[in-house]
Amino acid sequence: MSRGEPDSQVDLLQGTLDLLILQTLAFGPAHGHAIVRVIQQRSDEVLQVGHGSLYPALQRLLRRGLIVAEDGLSENNRKARFYRLTAKGRKRLTAETSKWERFSSAIARLLAPLPDQNS
Amino acid sequence: MKRWEARRERLESEMQEHIDLETQENIDAGMSPSEARQAAIRRFGSVPLAGDQSREAWGWLWLERLSQDVRFALRSFRKNGSSTAVALLSLMLGIGASIALFSVVYGVLIAPYPYARPNQIWAPAVLGPNDAVRGWHWYSQREMQEIQKLPAFSDVMATHVTSVMLTGGINPESFTGVFLTGGAFNFLEVKPIIGRTIQPYDIGPGGEPAPVVVLTYKFWQRFFSGDPHALGRTITIDDVPRTIIGVMPPRFGWWTDNSFWLPLQTDLKETAGIAVIMRLAPGVTQHAAEQQLNQLNIHLAAERPDSYPKGKLRTVLLNYMDITAASGDMANSLHLLFAAVGLLLLIACVNVANLQLARTTGRAREIAMRLAIGAGRARLVRQLLTESVLLSVVGGALGVLFAVGATRLIVALIPPDYVPNESRIVINGWVLLFSLGVSMLTGILFGLAPALRSSRPDLVGTLKDGGGGATGSMRGRAMRSWLVVAEISLSVILLAGASLAIRGFVQMLNVDPGYQPQRVLRIEVTLPPKSYPTWNQRNTLDRNLLDSVMSLPGVEAATIGNAGMPYSGWRSAYSIDGQPRVDGRQVALALISSRYPQTLGIPLKRGREFTEAEIESGMRIALINESAARLWPAGQDAVGRTMKIDELAQPMNNPKVLSAPGIAAGVTVVGVIGDTKNDGLAEPTAPAVYLPYTLFAPPDRELAVRTVGDPLALVNAVRMKARDLDKDLALGKPNTLDEVMGEETQQPRFNMALFGSFAALGLALAAIGIYSVISYNVSQRVQEIGVRMALGAKRYDILKLILLMVARLAAFGLAIGLVGSFLVERLVKFQMFAKTSFGVVPLAAIFVVLSGVCLLAAWLPAMRAGNLDPVTALRHEA
Repeated sequence: MSRGEPDSQVDLLQGTLDLLILQTLAFGPAHGHAIVRVIQQRSDEVLQVGHGSLYPALQRLLRRGLIVAEDGLSENNRKARFYRLTAKGRKRLTAETSKWERFSSAIARLLAPLPDQNS
Repeated sequence: MKRWEARRERLESEMQEHIDLETQENIDAGMSPSEARQAAIRRFGSVPLAGDQSREAWGWLWLERLSQDVRFALRSFRKNGSSTAVALLSLMLGIGASIALFSVVYGVLIAPYPYARPNQIWAPAVLGPNDAVRGWHWYSQREMQEIQKLPAFSDVMATHVTSVMLTGGINPESFTGVFLTGGAFNFLEVKPIIGRTIQPYDIGPGGEPAPVVVLTYKFWQRFFSGDPHALGRTITIDDVPRTIIGVMPPRFGWWTDNSFWLPLQTDLKETAGIAVIMRLAPGVTQHAAEQQLNQLNIHLAAERPDSYPKGKLRTVLLNYMDITAASGDMANSLHLLFAAVGLLLLIACVNVANLQLARTTGRAREIAMRLAIGAGRARLVRQLLTESVLLSVVGGALGVLFAVGATRLIVALIPPDYVPNESRIVINGWVLLFSLGVSMLTGILFGLAPALRSSRPDLVGTLKDGGGGATGSMRGRAMRSWLVVAEISLSVILLAGASLAIRGFVQMLNVDPGYQPQRVLRIEVTLPPKSYPTWNQRNTLDRNLLDSVMSLPGVEAATIGNAGMPYSGWRSAYSIDGQPRVDGRQVALALISSRYPQTLGIPLKRGREFTEAEIESGMRIALINESAARLWPAGQDAVGRTMKIDELAQPMNNPKVLSAPGIAAGVTVVGVIGDTKNDGLAEPTAPAVYLPYTLFAPPDRELAVRTVGDPLALVNAVRMKARDLDKDLALGKPNTLDEVMGEETQQPRFNMALFGSFAALGLALAAIGIYSVISYNVSQRVQEIGVRMALGAKRYDILKLILLMVARLAAFGLAIGLVGSFLVERLVKFQMFAKTSFGVVPLAAIFVVLSGVCLLAAWLPAMRAGNLDPVTALRHEA
């Protein structure tokens, strides 16, 4: 966990991670480990830095009021902390997702091969 | 706090749970339990870092880090107990001394007065073309009215001081009566504690003053025990009952701190001088005001030429603060002390810097380790800085405590006339801010340098190092050595300054005053002027008093004369018959009776003394001192010659002083007596002319009595004799000539004590500092010493090695210190007594003392080094 990463990359990662967490929780409350599992399926690279990086992200989201936490029992009857989207979180998700979509579609258009070079 | 802890724990357990879950999954996937756990942990990443980052999101991380830093700092302080103690001691003494002295300087030089805007009060001085400023000019009342009309001044007031008698019921006693113009209290803007102050309406349209009086705090305490019902009661001053209308606070001491203030009668025909002060009108510059006043002075001089200097007049406005606020000697001493304190503070800071450097260099490996496992450099610098700031804050707090004690001590020891009686020396808010600023600054300054340096080490090199380190500690050692040199040179300068002060004091003690001060009683006698309206009556009384005192057993000789014997009464211009008059030169005048030389123990050099008959008839003869005799050209003996004393020719301005009939300026010299230090012990003898006391008959006289035994034992007998002659005779406070001499030496003694203390403190600090650094240096070289011993060096060689190192540093320090001392002496105009320069003996003594200190400081570490077992030394890791 070296400190050598340039800030912009971390920011990007942070932003992406936050969004991914929100998306994961859109399907319902989950505890930390479950969230990690889902995110791993969707984008392994994000968690290259390790599962631990999830927790700062969760705390950030908690502070911004986009998610709330409550205690509960996990699948194997162990004590776990569950996270849930708030209304504000849901609103943010929609906004962010559309932003992302606009951003990625813009990129996609930029990078799309020109019609006459279509092989 | 608890919630914080709970949150932390919850986060911790949550992350642990995560790892457990992952572990379980891995086991389910087929890994062995240990493998599973390891994989889970690897997958997770650094738990502490995740924890840190999560808590950062909470927003309170800085507090947590701060408390971490503080706890760590405290631990490391405890570990290095002695060096921490030395650092704290250095800070305490340096900061404490600077606060104490700053308080004193503030109270005495910067803000000694409670008056409104004292630095905007001006006093006039009128000079001839070649005159130097000698004091301010005394105007008459009519002249003051003219001044009031000038547009340059917005407010003008005047003070007149004369001796008055308090009578009626209590023992008659003479006091200093301070007479003020009507607007004076409003000019000064100080409120009374009870009642009211004198106002313009207390002076009637014809100039008559209302019979009112305002008391000083001390007077009020002494005669009314602080009773607020004193208001409205009356006291009789100069046979006039006056109503008490107010009492001033203890800090208000305008020309007196133990008597009272009265309204001044406006009498335009009165020529007695009054002291006028003024404030400038807004927008008027000092120069413009001086011009205006000068124009007026030229007019006034035309009307009263005798009161003004001859020739083209110049008018200078003197700032009140410059004239009165502890000027001259005291100001110079305080400036010097400021310098001394600065040096002390420097030594203290050097000490602490040294200790900090030593500490952080010793922790080089620890710091490298922490950097290696991921601590950020900023974090590390912040932690080191926290240590330094904590140290300096605690040191600052201790310094404040020390300052409180030191200030009290200084105030208790200050000689009475050293400072204006209105000064208040307390530790005020500004001083506290200054001290905190200083302590913070020292903390940051000496914390920053080592902090920045030690956070950039060569990690690998330091980690592999045996602690002694190649580059890092080499540079560190050089810097520390220079710091030791700096400490030694600063101490030299401090000690040199102290030696000068001591020298000045010792020299003053050895001055021959020209008279014998032992066993001489002085006591002032004041007669009620209305009871003795003629010259003859007063002189008869005085002679009777003298005769009856002389008849007392235990009296060797007695004399009567002007107040303030053996100093002169006042000065006069003069001219020597047969010689051209020299403008601007004056002689000191004194009034004496026949046994003056015997009573004071002054030898008669030539000629003869006065006879009783001559004194009784008020003949115009004079005794002069040797300095006055030298005013005649060489070869001419003054005895038998005549001179003119201008003061005798002018009618005396004071109606209370009666002159002998037929008094004129010419006097004949009949004898020459020895020189005395009549201008102060530090000043050369002023040429003096001694006249028969009968020439002038003021109400105040002074009796000087040389006794066989203790002079103060005769006080009651003298009192009774005086009472027998006239029960209304007022006697002042008796004192002895020994006391008077003692007062003269008070200031140099005080200087010496202050300087000596600073020098001692500085030396102690330097000694401790040198010891710490040298023992630290030695401990760093333990391995090297082991190697040397292994290669065959004997104990003696090791000792020589260490001592030589110290000797080199000491030599450097002494040399620089000597140069520094001479430079400082040049820069600072040294006004101390006898204007001494550094003597060889004191410098040699300083050299010896400091060498001794260095030697001592090096001895113990050197012995320890010599006694090392080479095997353990080789294995030693710092």
